Amino acid sequence: MGEVILETKNLTKYYGKSKGIENVNLEIKRGEVFGFIGPNGSGKSTFIRTVLGLILPTKGNAQLFGVDALKKGSQVREKIGYVPSEINYYSGMNAEELLRYSASFYKNVDLKKIDKLAEHFELNLKKDIEDLSFGNKRKVALIQSVLHNPELLILDEPTGGLDPLMQNRFFELLREEHDEGTAIFFSSHILSEIQRICQRAAIIKNGEIVKEENIQDLMKKQMKNCRLVFKEKPENLKLPKNAQDENWVDNKLSFEYVGPVSDLMQWIAEQDLLDVTIEEPTLENIFMNYYER
Amino acid sequence: MKTLYTKELKRSRKSFFIWTAIVLGFTVMVLSLYPFMEGMGDDLSNMMRNIPDELRKAMGMDEQTWGSILGFYSTYFGIYIVLLTGIYTMSTGATILSKEEKEKTAEFLLTRPISRNSIFSTKIISLFSLTLGIIILQVVVAAISFSVAAETALDWGNFATMHIHGAVLIIFFTALGVLLSMFLNPKTNFMGLVFGIIFGSYFLNAMSKATEATEWMGYISPFNYADFNVGDPNYSLSILGVITLLVLAVVAVLFARYRYERRDVDD
Repeated sequence: MGEVILETKNLTKYYGKSKGIENVNLEIKRGEVFGFIGPNGSGKSTFIRTVLGLILPTKGNAQLFGVDALKKGSQVREKIGYVPSEINYYSGMNAEELLRYSASFYKNVDLKKIDKLAEHFELNLKKDIEDLSFGNKRKVALIQSVLHNPELLILDEPTGGLDPLMQNRFFELLREEHDEGTAIFFSSHILSEIQRICQRAAIIKNGEIVKEENIQDLMKKQMKNCRLVFKEKPENLKLPKNAQDENWVDNKLSFEYVGPVSDLMQWIAEQDLLDVTIEEPTLENIFMNYYER
Repeated sequence: MKTLYTKELKRSRKSFFIWTAIVLGFTVMVLSLYPFMEGMGDDLSNMMRNIPDELRKAMGMDEQTWGSILGFYSTYFGIYIVLLTGIYTMSTGATILSKEEKEKTAEFLLTRPISRNSIFSTKIISLFSLTLGIIILQVVVAAISFSVAAETALDWGNFATMHIHGAVLIIFFTALGVLLSMFLNPKTNFMGLVFGIIFGSYFLNAMSKATEATEWMGYISPFNYADFNVGDPNYSLSILGVITLLVLAVVAVLFARYRYERRDVDD
């Protein structure tokens, strides 16, 4: 790890007066698995499509493998595999023909992967593209994205349409690719997916990055869910500094705490309690925390 | 590029065969009609004399036009064959790039390791392969039909000149189709627009020839630069017209490429 293979500086896209993304600065390093979290319409796909040169930025620039992604992107797309959020393929071809057509654009292709991955995903290669279900089209997209052994996989909501079994197989494939050194840019609004595979993540809100950090740090540093059971509900209790979302049910108190853990522990020690539970927040909690601000 | 070129021709083969069959069928039909027209003798001459002068001029005819098989063919060539071929090639030009966006396959294509410039060039090469394909087949079938049908010596020079004028006009319309598609929403129904432009420019040219008062209309019609009236004793290759249309076609393609390289390909 170390070499930056995807870098954007102040990447901005406006559609007329409507903001797509604004001043997005990101760095993805070789071999890392990077999560890109945001709900629908937050700018995730706009960012990806701008980096891939499908849409032109209003301002800023993007570099892929050290070259200007917008002017010379085609030179490095040999090293990139991409799974779009919406899968649209040419009609009049079956899955195998489509995969071979896609592979024909690349030099470093491993055609043996077609049969191997079709078996892995239980995909009928002889079926016409227009007859494939949404989930099966997704499988074709996943297979075509790795046929040329990419160094960077860009995945935009890649699990849509896959059943839980196929999702597991998909994550197995990602782990194999990652073990071979492939960096993964994983865009999703499903937080458990990001939590499952990513090392680092950025949260995007209204087209702007609001947080970028290691997944573990995001989960540890930011917030604790505290649940306390008092012997008797105290009067005029002063909560610790940085506590929020206080909620009382009889003698039970819950709140979220953001701040030094030692301060929290000291405050708890001063209370007359029957029970105490301090939980790591889920990524969902963290995400909602950023979105509700 | 070879893959994309082959794929493009494969995608276009059905419409190419249909339109080529229509144009070739029409060519053979027109030439097979001539012996019957010729047999009408004086009746035909009287009929031509009875057509108002303005209408004859508008249609690029004179009293002698139907006196020869080439003259007879030129009327149909200028009106129907060029228009039909132009409609096919212009609509193909208008959709060859935009259909990728309309059918949402542009994202697939543009994320392969191939530049927009290469995609544009390959699509344009395949477009003009189809355009030249239908033009050449039409000329060959016309030439064979003439060889069979013509009883007197044919002026092959005028035959060639007329077809060069037609080919250049068709090439211009093809390029115009590509340019238009770069300014319009890919979901536009281009066929209506193509019909409007081709028929509109044909009628503008026809009206410009009818009277002096409407002569100015000809300058804004590409048909003005391609003469099909082989009955004219001074009929010759319009070098200025050919160069004008070819230069405009090249400019249209280059401008379309400029637009394509700066175009957002979005859902």
